[in-house]
Amino acid sequence: MATSTSSAASPSQASQGVRPVVVIGGNRIPFARSNGAYADASNQDMLTAALDGLVARFGLQGQRIGAVAAGAVLKHSRDFNLVRESVLGTALDPTTPAYDVQMACATGMEAIGSLANKIKLGQLDSAIGGGVDTTSDAPIAVSEGLRRVLLELARARTPKQRLAALSKFRPKDLAPHAPGTGEPRTGLSMGEHQALTTAAWGVSREAQDELALKSHHNLAAAYERNFFDDLITEYRGVGRDNNLRPSTTLEKLGSLKPAFGRDLGDKATMTAGNSTPLTDGASSVLLGSEEFARANDLPMLANFVDFEAASVDFVRGKEGLLMAPAYAVPRLLARQGLTLQDFDFYEIHEAFAGTVLSTLAAWEDEDFCRNKLGLDAPLGSIDRSKLNVAGSSLAAGHPFAATGGRIVATLAKLLHEKGSGRGLISVCAAGGQGVVAVLEAR
Amino acid sequence: MSGTAERRCIDLPEVPALGGIYAAAVKKTAASRIGGVLPGGGRRRGADDDGRWQLPAVEHRVRRLRVDTGRLTRYQRLMGDTVREDLPSVFVHGLAFPVAMSVMVDDGFPLPLLGMVHLSNRVEHLRRIRPGEELSVRAWAEDLRPHFAGAQVDVVAEVGAGGEAVWRGVSTYLAKGVDLPGRTRPERPEKPVFTAPTRTGQWRLAADTGRAYAGVLGDWNPIHLTSLSARALGMKRHIAHGMYLAGRALAGAAPREGGYEWGIEFASPVFLPGTVDFSVADAEGGADPYGTVAFTGWRRGASREHFSGYVAPR
Amino acid sequence: MTNQYQKLVNTGLTKKIAKQLGLPRPAVLRRHAAGAPLVPGPVVVLGDGASAQPTADLLLGWGLDVLRHLPPGRMVGAVVVAYDDVARPGDLADVALNLGPAVKSLVPGGRVVSISRPAGDGKDPELAAARQGVDGLMRSLGRELRGGATANGLLLAEGVDMGAPSAQAALRFLLSGRSAYVDGQFLEVSDGRGKLPEDWEKPLAGKVAVVTGAARGIGASIAATLARDGATVVAVDVPAAGSALARVANDVRGTALQLDVTRADAGHLIIEHATQRHGRLDIVVHNAGITRDKLLANMDEGRWKSVIAVNTESQLRMNQAFLAAGLPGLRVVSLASTSGIAGNRGQTNYAASKGGVMGMVRASSAAFADIDGGINAVAPGFIETEMTARVPVATRAVARMVMPSLMQGGLPVDVAEAISFLASDAAAGVNGETLRVCGQSLIGR
Repeated sequence: MATSTSSAASPSQASQGVRPVVVIGGNRIPFARSNGAYADASNQDMLTAALDGLVARFGLQGQRIGAVAAGAVLKHSRDFNLVRESVLGTALDPTTPAYDVQMACATGMEAIGSLANKIKLGQLDSAIGGGVDTTSDAPIAVSEGLRRVLLELARARTPKQRLAALSKFRPKDLAPHAPGTGEPRTGLSMGEHQALTTAAWGVSREAQDELALKSHHNLAAAYERNFFDDLITEYRGVGRDNNLRPSTTLEKLGSLKPAFGRDLGDKATMTAGNSTPLTDGASSVLLGSEEFARANDLPMLANFVDFEAASVDFVRGKEGLLMAPAYAVPRLLARQGLTLQDFDFYEIHEAFAGTVLSTLAAWEDEDFCRNKLGLDAPLGSIDRSKLNVAGSSLAAGHPFAATGGRIVATLAKLLHEKGSGRGLISVCAAGGQGVVAVLEAR
Repeated sequence: MSGTAERRCIDLPEVPALGGIYAAAVKKTAASRIGGVLPGGGRRRGADDDGRWQLPAVEHRVRRLRVDTGRLTRYQRLMGDTVREDLPSVFVHGLAFPVAMSVMVDDGFPLPLLGMVHLSNRVEHLRRIRPGEELSVRAWAEDLRPHFAGAQVDVVAEVGAGGEAVWRGVSTYLAKGVDLPGRTRPERPEKPVFTAPTRTGQWRLAADTGRAYAGVLGDWNPIHLTSLSARALGMKRHIAHGMYLAGRALAGAAPREGGYEWGIEFASPVFLPGTVDFSVADAEGGADPYGTVAFTGWRRGASREHFSGYVAPR
Repeated sequence: MTNQYQKLVNTGLTKKIAKQLGLPRPAVLRRHAAGAPLVPGPVVVLGDGASAQPTADLLLGWGLDVLRHLPPGRMVGAVVVAYDDVARPGDLADVALNLGPAVKSLVPGGRVVSISRPAGDGKDPELAAARQGVDGLMRSLGRELRGGATANGLLLAEGVDMGAPSAQAALRFLLSGRSAYVDGQFLEVSDGRGKLPEDWEKPLAGKVAVVTGAARGIGASIAATLARDGATVVAVDVPAAGSALARVANDVRGTALQLDVTRADAGHLIIEHATQRHGRLDIVVHNAGITRDKLLANMDEGRWKSVIAVNTESQLRMNQAFLAAGLPGLRVVSLASTSGIAGNRGQTNYAASKGGVMGMVRASSAAFADIDGGINAVAPGFIETEMTARVPVATRAVARMVMPSLMQGGLPVDVAEAISFLASDAAAGVNGETLRVCGQSLIGR
C-alpha cells in the first residue's frame, strides 16, 4: 500500500485503520451481441447465471454473503429489486442482502468500489459486486401521452373523469418508446459526443483502428492461453464473447464507413469497428476481507486499493462527454501518492477507441494538464504494451453495467499472475461521469 | 423605456385568448389581401393626417394573473426541464404574450400582425418568480423604426409581482416590405459567414412541435401548426415557434438561482419536422460555471444558422 | 429416467397384457435409498467354506436376519455362497443344488453373491477347474434370475479372508441396492488394506473428490453420488459446458473447475485447485470422455486422435502428475466401457481408448499402491444418458432390453454407485480392477 503524499486529499487507508479488501475472483457470462444469442434472456436471468457461476467457482452455496450490489443501466420497472430477485434465484443463502446500484456504464465500478469500502471499514466480510445489461430485452415504455392518459384513468373516480381522461388519448400515443443511448440533456448519442472529442484531440482513424485490432488480438490471445477459464462461465451455448473477431485486420477495419460524427466530414473517424457494439451480458466479482478469504480457503488475487469518481460539464460543452476519467485519475494518483507511470497494467474501458486515445492524449497534453487538471506538469504517457493486455470492450463488447465487473476480475487475475505490481482502471460513463480505481497484486 | 405617464392604460378584464386574436387577424389579413393595400398584408392603420406612422400611446394591462401550475408542469415537461416551483423565463413570456398581442391587434397598431417576422428577444428575468405569486402584466409597443427589409418594432411586456417588476421582455418584430414614410431603410449589413461551433446537443423536432407548444402556451399562430395552415399564409412549411427554441436553449443554460438576462436572435426559421444542432458554451473568456454563456442553433450538418443568443446572470 | 416401456409392462392393466403376450418385462431395479434396508429379507449363507461362518457373523453384525439353511416357505433377500474352499469340480454340486431352491425363493431385487478364490495361473488344474467353475456357474445363474435380482462373485486373493475390510465392503456393496446394475461380475480383493467407514451412509465423509466431465450425464451423477456419500466434490468440465457444470457444482455444494483435461497442465491445475480450496485431494474420477463413432473404413485422423487424446492420454498424463505429487492414499477410478471389452461396431477408436484405460489401470495399480492409494476402472454397459440418447432408437431398444440379463439400460447413478464404492477407503484392497456395470450385457466376457 502506497503512503499518501502531502498533496493527497485524504489520508491513506492504513492511517485510517481500515483493513485491506481483496478481489477473490470473478465470473461473467460471455458477452453477446445484441439481439443474438441472449435475445430471450432478461437482466435477471443473466445476472443470476453470472452469480451462480461465481457461487460454483468458489463453493459459496448456501453461504450468506455480506451484500450483493449490482445494477443495470436499462431496466424494466418490474426489476425494481433486480439484484435481490437475482440473488433469490441463485444457490446463495436466501438471507443474503442485495441492492441495486446505477451509475450508467460505471455501475459495476461504483458497486464494487463501495462494497470494497464497506469491507475496509469492517461492515462487511464478503461481498459480490457486478452488473448486467441487455439491449435485446430492453424495456419499451408506452409513450408519454399514453402513459399520462393511463395514469389519469387510474386516478379517475367517476365515469365523467374517466371519459375526460380517455378524451386526451391520441392515436399517435400508441407508438412505443424504446430507450436510446442518447444523452437526455443534449439529445446526442454517446458516439456523436465522442466523435466531437475524438476530433478535438485530433485522434486519427488509423490510431483508432490499431487500438481496435489490438483489443481483438489481445482478447483472442487471452482465450487461447485459457486465461478466461476461471473468469467466464458459458451461457446459452455461448462460450466466448461473440463480438470477438480474432482474424480481423487493419484492412478490414479500414474499410468500414464512419458511423459517428459524419457531419465532421473528413474528420469523421469513428466506425462500427472502433466503437463498441450494443451487447448483452452480466458480470460479478467476489470481494472479501483477508480473514474471509483465509477462513474459506479462497484465493486473494489483488487488493482493491482505492477508487475515485469524476464528472464533467458536457452539457455546456466544457468537456467531452466521456472525459471524466481524465479528471478522476490525477485525483486518485495524488491521494495514493502515485504517478501515471507507476502501473504494470492499464485497463481503460474502450467505449470507443477514440475515448481511450483522447484520454491518453489529454494526459500527455501540457495545456490540458495545467489548465484543466490544475497540475504543474503533464501526467505523461503510458507504456502502451501494458494497456488492455487481455482485450477490452472493443473486442469483448460492453453490456453497460457489466463492464466494471469484467475489468476488475480481469485485472485482478493479471496482477495475480504477475505476482507483483499495480493496475489502473478507468471507466467512462454516460452523463459525463467516470470511475477509476487502483488494484495491487497479491 | 418610456414612462407609463405618456400612455393611456387599457385594462383587460383577463388575459385574452390567442385563438380569437389569430382568427380576427386572419380575417383582417384576408380582407386586406383583397384590398391589396400593403404588400405585407394588413390595412393601413394609425396613420395620422400627414401620413406618418405612429405607435398608439397605449398600454394594455392585466392586473391580476394567476399561474396555472398544471400548465407550468406541461411546459416544463415539453422543454425537457425539471418540474419545479420556479417560472422559466419563456413560460413567463408565454403568460405575457397575449397581452402583447392585444397591443398588436389594437386598431391603432400600424403594422399587420400576420406575416410579421420575429427577429429577436431581450429579456431581463429580474428575480426568481414562484408559481404562487399574483402577477400583473402590462405591454406596449415602442421604437417603430426602419429595418433594411421593412419596418421593425419593439413590443415590450413587463410582469410585476407585489408592486415590483420581476420580468421585462422586449420582442422585436419585422414587417417586411413596409416603408415608414419619411424614413429610409438602412443598408443591409454584411452578413458574416456562419461557422458552426462545437456541437453540444442535438434536437430532433417532430412535426407536431408547434402544436405541442401552442397546446401549452396558447400561441396558435397557424404558421406553427401544420404544413397546410402555414402554406395558407405563404410559407413553405410550418416552422417552430421562436420562443420554443428559446425555451429549449434556456432549459439547459439558465442559471438555477437568482435573476438573469438573456437574448436571442433568429436568423432563419426551423422547418418542422427538423433537426437542430445546438451549442452552448462559455461566452468568450468565461470560466465561472454560472457565467455568461452563448448558445447557437443551426441546421443539422449545414452552415445555416437558425438562432444565437446568450444568458448572463445578474 | 425409467423408460416408458418399463413403466407400462410393470403397472396395472398394461402389465397384465404384457404378461399374457409374453413381452419381456424389465424389472424396476432395487437401488440404494437412504434408510432402506441393506437387503430386503433374510440372507441365507450356503456352503461350508472357511468364509461361511465369518460371513454369517459379519451379516449378523450388520443387523441382517442370517440363516444357514433355506427356510421352507420363506422368501429370502439374498443368498451368499461360500465357495472359497472348493478344491475339485465335484465340490460345486452340493451347494449348487441347494442354491436352486433358494433362488426360487429370492425376492425381487434379491442378490446372490458367491465368495471364491481366483483360479489363477500355475495352480493345480483340479483346483483351478473348480474355482473357474464358480465363475461359469454364477454368470449363468445371473442370466436365469428374474425380478431385477443379480448374481455376482467376490474373489478373495490368496491370503485374504473375510476379515479384510475390502472383502466386507465389497460383499456389502454387492448385496446392497448400490450394485443394482452390476450383474454376472466378479470383484477381486487382492489384499487386506482398507478402512471401513464409521457411517455406511457416508463412506466418503471428509474426502475431497475430483470428477472430470461432471457437467452432464454420468459425470453429473457421479458428482451427486460422491457428494451424497460425504465427499466434497470438485466438478471439472470444459469451459464450453460451463453453465451445466456450475449447476452440478451448486447442486452438490462443491466447486466448479473449468478445465480441458487434455491440457498438459491439467493434473497440476486439479491438484492446485483441490489442495488450495479444499485442503486435500483424495479421489479422482476420470470420467471425461468423448465418442466420435465411425466405421474404421471411414475413420479420419481427427476422430481417432481426439478420442484417444481425451479418453486415454489425458488420464495417463494426469495420473503421472498425481503420482509425482505423491498425494497420500489417492484413489483413482477411470471410466472404461464394455465397448473396450467386447468391441462395438463403429467404435474402433472409442474401444481402443477404453481398452487402453483398462490396460492403464492394471499397469498403474502398483504405482498407486506405493502411495497407499489405488486405481480401478468401471466399465459401463448401456447407460441411459444424453450421449446414448443420440443412438438410433432401434439400436437403443435392442441394446437396452435384449442384450443385458436385466433387460434394460442402466442409469447414470448405477455407474456412480460402483465408482463411489471403488473410491472409498474401504475398497483399498481392490486395485487394478475393472468392474462392469452393464446389467450383464450379452457382449463381452
